[in-house]
Amino acid sequence: MPYQLENQPANVRESMYFPEIFRAIGLVVTTFWRNAFFSRDENPDILERDRSRNRVSTIQYPEEKAPYPPGYRGLHRLVPRPDGSPRCVACFMCATACPAQCIYIEAGEVEGDPIEKYPKQFVIDELRCVVCGFCVEACPKDAIRMDTGDHPPPTYTREGQIYDEKRLLRGPPVSYEKDPWLVRPSRLSEAMLKLDRASARPYGVDGGDEYAQTPGFSVRQLAAEARARGEAGK
Amino acid sequence: MKRFFGMWAVIGAVLAGLVGIFYAFYVLAALGAKGAVALGLPGFFGSSIVNAVTLMAVTLMTLAALLTVAERKWSAAMQDRIGANRIKVFGSALGGVPYLLADALKMLTKESTFPAARSKFLFELAPVLAFSPTFALFAVIPVGPEVLVFGQNVGMWVANPDAGLLWIFALAGISVYGTTLAGWASNNRVGLLGAVRASAQMISYEVSLGLSLVGVMIAYRTVSLQQMAIAQGVAVLGPVPALGILLQPLGFLVFFTSAFAETKRAPFDLPEGESEIVGYFLEYSGMKFGLLFLAEFVEIAVLAAVTAAVFLGGWHPIFFEGWMKANLPPVLFAAVCAASFLAKVIFLTWLQLIIRWLLPRFRYDQIQGLCWKLLLPAAIANVFVTGAAVLIDPTLTLLAWIGVAEIALIFGITLASSKPRAVGHAHGDAHGHAAPAAGH
Repeated sequence: MPYQLENQPANVRESMYFPEIFRAIGLVVTTFWRNAFFSRDENPDILERDRSRNRVSTIQYPEEKAPYPPGYRGLHRLVPRPDGSPRCVACFMCATACPAQCIYIEAGEVEGDPIEKYPKQFVIDELRCVVCGFCVEACPKDAIRMDTGDHPPPTYTREGQIYDEKRLLRGPPVSYEKDPWLVRPSRLSEAMLKLDRASARPYGVDGGDEYAQTPGFSVRQLAAEARARGEAGK
Repeated sequence: MKRFFGMWAVIGAVLAGLVGIFYAFYVLAALGAKGAVALGLPGFFGSSIVNAVTLMAVTLMTLAALLTVAERKWSAAMQDRIGANRIKVFGSALGGVPYLLADALKMLTKESTFPAARSKFLFELAPVLAFSPTFALFAVIPVGPEVLVFGQNVGMWVANPDAGLLWIFALAGISVYGTTLAGWASNNRVGLLGAVRASAQMISYEVSLGLSLVGVMIAYRTVSLQQMAIAQGVAVLGPVPALGILLQPLGFLVFFTSAFAETKRAPFDLPEGESEIVGYFLEYSGMKFGLLFLAEFVEIAVLAAVTAAVFLGGWHPIFFEGWMKANLPPVLFAAVCAASFLAKVIFLTWLQLIIRWLLPRFRYDQIQGLCWKLLLPAAIANVFVTGAAVLIDPTLTLLAWIGVAEIALIFGITLASSKPRAVGHAHGDAHGHAAPAAGH
């Protein structure tokens, strides 16, 4: 049932119009001067904005972007090793797991290495991708992530949405202590190996749940905080 | 803080620029007068022709064109938005001014379409009839005082007829034809409906428009706008000059409201409505529509100019006027006067935009009711009160005190009523126990 509104006739003051109009003029003038005379807080996080003076809450989209929440599955990237080559070993796990079959991989053998492979071609059609994140889950090498924090940018052509390994290979490099190319004899020089081992981190026990996320975000830390609040059972 | 000082710098620069521009206009008008004298004609022939170009073609049209931008940016500031800023010149939005060029380009290059069953001559005539009378209204507005430049008496106006206000009434009456013909000649029933609404509204409000100015005519004993501007500089209550808004606060309110209705803009924009009848300009496109559109903005500027000339002291700067008159060179003082007039005009256009955004549009019967039941009786009462006051005290002091009392009353009612009306218990009852009980 809709609200019952009192539909009473206008009283004398209301039918004079001007008292309310003058009050409203004051209101609009205040808003106008605040917005015209004080600069806008350009913080892309609107809730964090200082709106005590300028009340504008617009986000100028292409220049300012609202941050996506942690864990947002964005545009893929191929994680590089510290030397810039992809961590990917062309095992086809992601392409197999992909329900949309949008990943195309062509494997190649690493020159002078008896067992290691690398992707000659690694192509993701972002128009076919359903952004399920199964490829990230399937990857045994933590070589593909969706932690760029951004959606695939719009393009004028369909071809622009097809990302090959050159466009996908970006972002901060990652290396783990147990990475095979760090522990067994490899083509890397001694100096490079030393550098890589120094930056390597321990591999997670239960797969890349922590490191495969947005930088600064940690599932374990959130879980620890929840335990501290006594929400462990939930 | 940077923006705060920057805005004040912009305002200061605009005012200083206006003074400079009007100084140049005075010099140009004097040169025109000299040329006319050299040809054996009266000097004001030349200055009037120069003023027609500088005041009407340059100042008024620039003002109207900038209003299209101001409407975007000012409206945005009133609504907590940023406003048009996507067109950038070397990375700077320049306050949205480049949109002017985009608009002009769009209007000029759009295809001009015609309804087949139009009334051919009147269809072409209507935009002209809508635009030209409002444009010509500006001719009698005294923008600046008369001053001696290069040995010529030069005034900052195009024409100085004795019947200044009557010229305004006459041309405001003609501008009804433009909208009516636009709706009728396009042979579209919806357009005609808009035109009928527009003509009914404009003719109604012309009555209260005329009557609201009768009080001013009585008070200043003239219908010439130049004489009125001069009369508004005379002190009446101690140092306070006899401004129209002081002598005739009620007349000001009625006039401003009526003139606002004449411009056919929100909240009086019944002749146009995108969701019901599109408007009297429904069948117009391209630059013909642009002309109807521009006529609206010219109307705003002209309405602000008439209001400033009649009620806000004309070209008198009011503050520090005596000091400036004594210390500045006369031509510079005249330029300051003209700039202060234009500043008042800009202020009033800004006020119109404010009112546009704070009021919802009226229903049609409310529009007519406001005119005939509220404004017209108020204007008639104002005429009688003014007449009696001037009859009793020809020095206008009594009228000024009545005006002060009226202003105090208006302020008193406004402040006393600043508590919003109680809504009652409607909200609680609606989804409480009352609703099922009503169902049984």
